[in-house]
Amino acid sequence: MPGLRNVAVVGFAQAPIVARDEHRIATEMLYAQVRAALAQCRVEREAIDYQAAGSADYLDGRPFGFVAALEVMGSWPAKPDLHLEMDASFAAYYAWLRIQTGDSDTALVCGYGKTSEGDPERVLNLQLDPYYQAAIGLDPTSTAALQASAWMARTGTTDRDLAALAARRRAAGARNPDAQVRAPANAEDLAKTPWAVEPLRQGYLPPVGESAVCLILAAEGKAEKMCDRPAWIHGVDQRIELQTLGGRDLSGSAGARLATERALAMAGLAKAADVDVVELCATTPVEELVLCEAMELDPTGTRPAINPSGGPLAGNPLMMTGLIRLGEAFRQLAGRADGHAVAGARRAIAHGAQGHCLQQNVVWVLGDQRRWT
Amino acid sequence: MTDGPPKEPVKYVEKQVHLPYRYVAGDYKARYLAALKDKTILGSKCSKTDKVFVPPIVASPESLAPCDELVPVADRGVVTTFCVVNIPVIGRSIELPYVAASVALDGADISIYALIQECKPEEVRMGMRVEAVWKPDGERQGGHEDILHFRPTGEPDAPLASFMHRL
Repeated sequence: MPGLRNVAVVGFAQAPIVARDEHRIATEMLYAQVRAALAQCRVEREAIDYQAAGSADYLDGRPFGFVAALEVMGSWPAKPDLHLEMDASFAAYYAWLRIQTGDSDTALVCGYGKTSEGDPERVLNLQLDPYYQAAIGLDPTSTAALQASAWMARTGTTDRDLAALAARRRAAGARNPDAQVRAPANAEDLAKTPWAVEPLRQGYLPPVGESAVCLILAAEGKAEKMCDRPAWIHGVDQRIELQTLGGRDLSGSAGARLATERALAMAGLAKAADVDVVELCATTPVEELVLCEAMELDPTGTRPAINPSGGPLAGNPLMMTGLIRLGEAFRQLAGRADGHAVAGARRAIAHGAQGHCLQQNVVWVLGDQRRWT
Repeated sequence: MTDGPPKEPVKYVEKQVHLPYRYVAGDYKARYLAALKDKTILGSKCSKTDKVFVPPIVASPESLAPCDELVPVADRGVVTTFCVVNIPVIGRSIELPYVAASVALDGADISIYALIQECKPEEVRMGMRVEAVWKPDGERQGGHEDILHFRPTGEPDAPLASFMHRL
């Protein structure tokens, strides 16, 4: 695949995920991350060509809240800017595309939002079709439970399997200082927690959390100056499926499968299992199993390591959970993962998702070396 | 549901959406609102340019430098722009017509929205000096309602050059 620019993640800053920050509004949380990410890269805003952000104004109930975020991303002099009402991982994808066009070399990508200020279950209900599915009150936990039922019926996965997977992610989250759920729990105890919506138990699902994140992308030539160990993007692809839940097989993810195939092809890799680390934007254990199947990964294996950060089960700040996966892949490749580092990690996959039951998927393949010469 | 399918095509579905929110004021706004109780209006000063933003914000959108110092500004200033409102707004019971204005408070580099009262709408002009009329002592709650409105001070008009960059 000739002609693509080498682009790397060169900086990433994340506020530790909390249930509710009682003091700071979203922009105050975000500003600290923007400053931290710029400082990591040893640059000021003048070094940034393009800005992109992902958030949902409905979640924190501030009309045009995304405009207020520009106050802390920088708004003078004006720069090309994009806002997505989606997880910021998709904003990173658009920033990567923009850099590919050649008119920008660097991009600031932000995700933010005060999930605790609204009622996310009600807000996310509005993502569904308004006539048949939103109208009956489906929320993301209910739709995830429908998906879990479909998956368990097809594969024979048991409640104990889900408990064991959730317990493994909890153990990993305990090693990640930015995770929200840092108390380990064993599978036996998780399997005793009440149903959230059957067959998903409360112990298998992340609590409501909020954070703010800022990630910086840079093209070859600038990336090396901004970061000692850039995480080069080898491949990326995004796919969107039908909104109507009945219009697709919820027990699998055709979109994630296709995005993975395309991203791997761009990266020149035969299979996802060839990487060292995989960070999946899976907000239930079943979503993780669905994604592992789509990517042909062994969810119980140790290599590649799956969600060594604890993943979304240890912290799910809406609209940035996907971008954090990309940031975590960067941390692993750049030697910044500290207590949850995967030894010798040289290649990584970072997945982002949006919508009910993995409706939209973006898959990134990264490496510690440049992809194209 | 016992009447069978509708005889006419369904053209639309009406749905009311109820979304509750539970806000935090924010680090800066919390201090700003609390200070109103003491008839003090706080701004935040840019550490790079010394520009003062009211209400206070965490960073300067212009320089992206932190605004980590909170400073009081005056409760009087100048009308920079305004409009005469002749149409009732839901939730507001002010007698029509009234004037909604941008007022640059003395010591601030950006204007706030203000209601101008105690004069005829046709008397309001760019450059007019105005002052805050506060709720009486003991009635202020630490909210925007603590300032009832602004009124003319009778001072000479401010020249355009003194506020044209503080609109």
